[in-house]
Amino acid sequence: MSTLLDVRNLVTRFYTQDGVVKAVNGVSFTVNKGETVALVGESGCGKSVTALSILRLIAQPPGKVISGEALLDGTNLLKLSTEEIRKIRGAHISMIFQEPMSSLNPVLTIGRQMTEQLELHRNMGHEEALTEAINLLKLVGIPQADRRLKDYPHHFSGGMRQRVMIAMAISCKPQLVIADEPTTAVDVTIQSQLLELIRGITDEMGMSLILITHNLGVVARYARRVYVMYAGMVVEHGVALEVYHHPFHPYTSGLLASVPRLDEPRKSRLAPIEGQPPDMMCPPEGCSFQPRCRYALPKCITDKPGLLEIAPGHFSACWVASSREMPWQKT
Amino acid sequence: MAEDLVIEINNLTKYFPITSGLFFQKKVAEVRAVDGVSFAIHRGETLGLVGESGCGKTTIGKCILQLYRATSGEVIFEGKNLCELTENQLRPLRRKLQVIFQDPYDSLNPRFTAADIIGEPLQINSDIRGRDFDARIAELLDIVGLSPYMADRYPHEFSGGQRQRLGVARALALQPEFIVCDEPLSALDVSIQAQIINLLDDLQDKFGIAYLFISHDLSVVRHISDRVGVMYLGKMMELAQRDEIYKSPLHPYTQALLSAVPIPDPAVEAKRSVIVLKGEVPSPINPPSGCVFHPRCPKAFDACPKVVPLLEDAGSGHRVACLLYKTSWP
Repeated sequence: MSTLLDVRNLVTRFYTQDGVVKAVNGVSFTVNKGETVALVGESGCGKSVTALSILRLIAQPPGKVISGEALLDGTNLLKLSTEEIRKIRGAHISMIFQEPMSSLNPVLTIGRQMTEQLELHRNMGHEEALTEAINLLKLVGIPQADRRLKDYPHHFSGGMRQRVMIAMAISCKPQLVIADEPTTAVDVTIQSQLLELIRGITDEMGMSLILITHNLGVVARYARRVYVMYAGMVVEHGVALEVYHHPFHPYTSGLLASVPRLDEPRKSRLAPIEGQPPDMMCPPEGCSFQPRCRYALPKCITDKPGLLEIAPGHFSACWVASSREMPWQKT
Repeated sequence: MAEDLVIEINNLTKYFPITSGLFFQKKVAEVRAVDGVSFAIHRGETLGLVGESGCGKTTIGKCILQLYRATSGEVIFEGKNLCELTENQLRPLRRKLQVIFQDPYDSLNPRFTAADIIGEPLQINSDIRGRDFDARIAELLDIVGLSPYMADRYPHEFSGGQRQRLGVARALALQPEFIVCDEPLSALDVSIQAQIINLLDDLQDKFGIAYLFISHDLSVVRHISDRVGVMYLGKMMELAQRDEIYKSPLHPYTQALLSAVPIPDPAVEAKRSVIVLKGEVPSPINPPSGCVFHPRCPKAFDACPKVVPLLEDAGSGHRVACLLYKTSWP
């Protein structure tokens, strides 16, 4: 498999009145062609900001991508001019946002919003674009697609709106789709409809998919590889199966232990991670998970651990794990 | 067991009118939010209520607390039907019925300190004042795992999980017998959710409080509940003991809901098949005829659009509203 997207050492900060928010602190990850990769972590861990930085969608000010590279087939997206990045967005990389109601334009019809990018990126005439839009809506399972083109976003239900977003995201046959919490705003039964749809379409068209989510179950169901993020950094990554069965980072292990599982006997008590994520204006000096970590060593307070390949293809940023000792795997 | 009942709900129905016209408001239709639901909750028990948004689970919670007045039906608490009482008659009972809301950001007054928030119910409903008052606040903060020195802080100085702890402390202030927990975890992160679940568990063991736990997260509901009710479009579809409902779900809707929950283990997921339901939840203004679930049901047969299934015992207290399990036909 060849690499499609290679992100190296991405650093993004927000300069606010209260101080500098260090949202992303040196994130690196790769996405291969046709592969589904998940970025998983809790709110504020920097997973969405990472995606927005790659697409250069960070509002500046207050935000700024300080350093790093995002290579799409060898082209550094962070160095492109505004004109050039516009040609990439939608055409090569597209995005499905969390809240379809706030990411669709409420005063334009669905037809207008869908044809805009077809005319722009695929040089279609208006009639041709309308026909293509109908085909796309049919593909994502919207009934009576030809009639619904004249409808406005508020005419659609939440699940249907997200289907429109999916149709728009794939309309220019991008190489990479980024889905940022695509199912957080919808119900469980709609969630499985939408995720099955996204998986079906990206598989069929050979697109790569970055799935950004906080739901460990969704990752297990859909992603091949997973990057676990905490406090603006990747703390562990590898093949999902390995990461779930043999977590090399106490945070991953803690997360997995804190969610009740339907397939296991009910535990009398859950094992939460005590404390809370750090304030990103002044993250801890050493390992950012150390204040909540049961296994912390003196070294963890002073030195920041880097990602280390502990088993083939399975990386962890943890001083305890770097000694090949995983006390959390025993319990 | 009857003397152990904390709250009993009989045939509870809540319709919201839809009106049109500017001056002479005319009722043109109604939203059937809750349609003939009955259940009872025992002392120290947790009843989990699951279902998708719009199925009426929050409305039931609000009807029990008389924040909404039910269209018809009864809510029996301490031998009285709350639906028939006036506001003044309700006031002494309200202290025993409390609520924890979904969003700890919206449900705390930003201009109140933590002590004001927790102390407000005490100010209104008790005569604890002065030094005892401060001691009670400190005690409550301690019970929910916050430090007494935080009493003078404002909500924005707390994290999401800590704010939800404040919400819990406020609900506990008057030593209630029953708490409606309306999606108390959905605004919290996974690692924080487990902290609040354990807190609610501990408080129940300590004080014997009964919970109505409203949630859309089936894994959390299994963890916390003793019995579970599944709702769809204002109706109770299935109601049974926790292990019973999770091990052998009877209603096709419950089966689909359970299969839609992804399990955080790639090896398990690779072998699992998902029942993907077609379509979406229909409008409660004009619900389908017969069984309200029949347009989406993978097992629907010819009787389903015609006959309304009742919630009936399918053996050992496992109640289900589905014609597949109907034994006697008229």
